[in-house]
Amino acid sequence: MAGETNPPSSLPEPPPGAGLNRRSFLRNSAVLASGLAALAASLAPLRDLKDSTSMEQFLQKYYKELTPAEMEKVLERIAREVEREYGIRPHLRDVKPLDGVQFVYALNLTRCIGCRKCVHACVAENNLSRNPEIQYIRVLRLPHGSLDVEKAEHNYAPDQVPEKGYFYMPVQCQQCENPPCVKVCPVHATWQEADGITVIDYDWCIGCRYCTAACPYWARHFNFTKPSIPKDRLNPEMAYLSNRPRRQGVMEKCHFCLQRTRAGRYPACLEVCPTGARKFGNVLDPDSEVAQILKRKRVFIQLKEDLGTSPRFFYYFDV
Amino acid sequence: MNGESRTSTILTLLGISFCLLATAFLRNVWGRPVPLTPISLVSPEFTNTATARLSYAERIRMKDDVSLFDCYGCHDRKKPPVLRFDTNQNLIIPTEHEDLVMGHGTHNRNNNCFNCHNEANLELLQTRDGRELKLSESTPLCGSCHGPTYRDWEAGLHGRTSGYWDRQAGPSDRKDCVSCHNPHHPKFPTRQPAPGPNPLRPGANPAQVHAKAH
Repeated sequence: MAGETNPPSSLPEPPPGAGLNRRSFLRNSAVLASGLAALAASLAPLRDLKDSTSMEQFLQKYYKELTPAEMEKVLERIAREVEREYGIRPHLRDVKPLDGVQFVYALNLTRCIGCRKCVHACVAENNLSRNPEIQYIRVLRLPHGSLDVEKAEHNYAPDQVPEKGYFYMPVQCQQCENPPCVKVCPVHATWQEADGITVIDYDWCIGCRYCTAACPYWARHFNFTKPSIPKDRLNPEMAYLSNRPRRQGVMEKCHFCLQRTRAGRYPACLEVCPTGARKFGNVLDPDSEVAQILKRKRVFIQLKEDLGTSPRFFYYFDV
Repeated sequence: MNGESRTSTILTLLGISFCLLATAFLRNVWGRPVPLTPISLVSPEFTNTATARLSYAERIRMKDDVSLFDCYGCHDRKKPPVLRFDTNQNLIIPTEHEDLVMGHGTHNRNNNCFNCHNEANLELLQTRDGRELKLSESTPLCGSCHGPTYRDWEAGLHGRTSGYWDRQAGPSDRKDCVSCHNPHHPKFPTRQPAPGPNPLRPGANPAQVHAKAH
């Protein structure tokens, strides 16, 4: 302003200490521009994140606060994403627990032959990642005479099973009545439902893995990478809280195939078991297989019973 | 002036380091993503829900070939077959039935065909207390000796049940004894296990890990 009223007769001397003249401005601008460009380019790894979360998913409400209309929209969004990724329109539902039902699993250790068919039926049913492998069921091979899991081996690979001198104990989520994994979750992304199944909202999980640390059964699995499921092996029968494809960075675990069991069917691991070692049902129904097992059989094992987790998963013997 | 030159030095250094980082990321110096160990997909036989064998009743339902069960295609109705035993009291299996493996009962004690088959009518079964049963309804015959197991089976404790646990939601199918057990050799056969978890160690296959663990 002062310059307009009093035009200088000659170029003024730059005031001492002022760093801004034409040359230094250009130089600094050039350095700044190239620096910013380099900064942007150096953030290149962030480009990989752009597909992982959509804005709709980011703004989605907590599962328990969703109204039915909002749930419809969420299901539509997930179905759209699955269709884009796998080319298959899934039959996606949000299945609620049934009234008067408490699920219990019973597994006959006298009958299990360790064939691992349950492991792979589960992988196929629940759209688990094939590479890296995520498997909800681990079949432990134990030497006769002890239930010491320290002596267990899960990489056994003989030509034929069962092997002499060993028995087999499949371990999966024990659906504890007192689940330590639920207690440690800082964001309530995992909870126990009315029928006893502990579920995870994959859109609410922040991937802190506290639950993995808390679970004494090694039942919780983390998606370190984006799960890889071959398109031709995707199971399109999906539920929100169970087998819809997961994202990178979230936890997952066995949910007793709730997309099947809440529709009255048996879980996939039971259907495939060649020996009938696996039994599942509503323990509140006195005629159900599991209620009859708990009534008639004599020896039960609740794995790591001393921890007070009170599993809904009972191992028993034919005595 | 000292402050200005320090600022430009820092800015230049930052600029250079960003440039280096950018070159490194764009030229993919560290290589990403980390290549995964290839894991082959599991064979569909391991996810097949079929029972260990097919029973006669299931073969009829599937309209499968059941001509082998037509006893009087070869046997004579008026002439009951004669059983022959060797000096150790083991049944000598006639060549016409050489596909039969006899192994029912410890020490092969249950090796008399007519403990279960009806001598007078080969297309029927008989219990020890004289009840006659069709070939397709063999489960009560097994139960006539294996009482506790039969009791467990009736309650759904022994054997396979598929379909619906909720009987109001849909049907459930309780498999018969002979859907899993061969009546002539009832011990459940051994089988090949499905592959275990991949150990993901380069060059290690599960069998080697297994061998190392012992």
